[in-house]
Amino acid sequence: AAAATAAAKGNGGGGGRAGAGDASGTRKKKGPGPLATAYLVIYNVVMTAGWLVIAVGLVRAYLAKGSYHSLYYSIEKPLKFFQTGALLEILHCAIGIVPSSVVLTSFQVMSRVFLIWAVTHSVKEVQSEDSVLLFVIAWTITEIIRYSFYTFSLLNHLPYLIKWARYTLFIVLYPMGVSGELLTIYAALPFVRQAGLYSISLPNKYNFSFDYHAFLILIMISYIPIFPQLYFHMIHQRRKILSHTEEHKKFE
Amino acid sequence: MKHYEVEILDAKTREKLCFLDKVEPHATIAEIKNLFTKPHPQWYPARQSLRLDPKGKSLKDEDILQKLPVGTTATLYFRDLGAQISWVTVFLTEYAGPLFIYLLFYFRVPFIYGHKYDFTSSRHTVVHLACICHSFHYVKRLLETLFVHRFSHGTMPLRNIFKNCTYYWGFAAWMAYYINHPLYTPPTYGAQQVKLALAIFVICQLGNFSIHMALRDLRPAGSKTRKIPYPTKNPFTWLFLLVSCPNYTYEVGSWIGFAIMTQCLPVALFSLVGFTQMTIWAKGKHRSYLKEFRDYPPLRMPIIPFLL
Repeated sequence: AAAATAAAKGNGGGGGRAGAGDASGTRKKKGPGPLATAYLVIYNVVMTAGWLVIAVGLVRAYLAKGSYHSLYYSIEKPLKFFQTGALLEILHCAIGIVPSSVVLTSFQVMSRVFLIWAVTHSVKEVQSEDSVLLFVIAWTITEIIRYSFYTFSLLNHLPYLIKWARYTLFIVLYPMGVSGELLTIYAALPFVRQAGLYSISLPNKYNFSFDYHAFLILIMISYIPIFPQLYFHMIHQRRKILSHTEEHKKFE
Repeated sequence: MKHYEVEILDAKTREKLCFLDKVEPHATIAEIKNLFTKPHPQWYPARQSLRLDPKGKSLKDEDILQKLPVGTTATLYFRDLGAQISWVTVFLTEYAGPLFIYLLFYFRVPFIYGHKYDFTSSRHTVVHLACICHSFHYVKRLLETLFVHRFSHGTMPLRNIFKNCTYYWGFAAWMAYYINHPLYTPPTYGAQQVKLALAIFVICQLGNFSIHMALRDLRPAGSKTRKIPYPTKNPFTWLFLLVSCPNYTYEVGSWIGFAIMTQCLPVALFSLVGFTQMTIWAKGKHRSYLKEFRDYPPLRMPIIPFLL
């Protein structure tokens, strides 16, 4: 969910987004060249499609099973594939075809990848938890909107509805995602402790120790300073960008 | 002799902050900063950035008014650099911390390890040696700060002290915890490994000190001149033939030596992080040398001979 929100700040995915996150006109720098633009359009279309596959997969599994429990298993593979694929977005920033900070994008994508692989995949007992569904739904809706936003921006043809959705739905989706993530990590704790997962204790010849259980608790604590900052930044962005467009519409 | 008039505007708001008349043509920016402080005492000279263009580069303290591209009424733009702290203060604080903190772990002060280990001593020679090396390293740094280094800038932003101290103190505690732990495992290759590592450490510490002395001798006390450093009679300085910043090269070497000596992963990680930061600094320094001196020796690399 951290990724969801900061993504709405205008990082990751495809370019076509100038400084303040308003892609419809206030472009100060020149955008990516034609080849990079074509690549980014393809990238963002593929990602939109991928997350739609996940969305459809969830709906079909729900209808087939008749319940919303343990739906994770039906979309596990595309979820892993497309969320991990987002690592490319770090590369996009690094080579400059997307005008976002490498550090910020890395942080966002890594936090998602961490949740998918180092928590949900690694602690099998947690995969049937309802909290997993909570963040998967939040991420799915967010990403479908985000990647289509980038696609349209790159093509200079952004429907107001997409812009509105991107800067409004987060109000519910972000807390929803964060709740799902925190509950999942919390559910994983006893199993991590029991199995000593990813942990190393003294003595050993490299004189190093790592307690994954304690690390996960630290991660959960870190949500406390980070979540409000990102959330209120998004609220601020929303006021700036949506009112700006309203004014433009008045003068048309 | 005609006098200048200097008006100082806020770079962001363009508000007129100060008007100085009868300014000497050969007045320096430093002197103007002192004049500016009088009506605005909260903006002491170290926190003033004065420039000719609101978005341009800061003027240097040594720049002379009549040599600047201004008319007899000069307009300067002011930016507040924020609270400043002297480099010396920052260095002393960030180095004193690790020295003290490591010793807390070495002496196994209560509440770090289990109560049965309070104030006990390690039975491994290497642990005592490591304490001597670590302490020596930071004492050397403190003494160099007080007596050797000649700083170009007096101050840096205040927030840096929090950032820097977290880094140095945090890593010192992390390393010291493991090296002085009752369950510490000495190096795999025993005394041989420790002797080799100690040799590397000592050589690199001597090297690092030699470079600091050579750099100090390049610049007379109180001046801010910059010259190309060259090898001297001291063999440790011959590394200048191959790198621009051999002080960083030797520093990385010292920490690699310490890592081999203690065979402790956190030490290796600290060395890696330090190496990354020093490489960034070395590349910057190297670029400045190249820009400033046409005849800069082409064989030199920033930090690692021939490679980086």
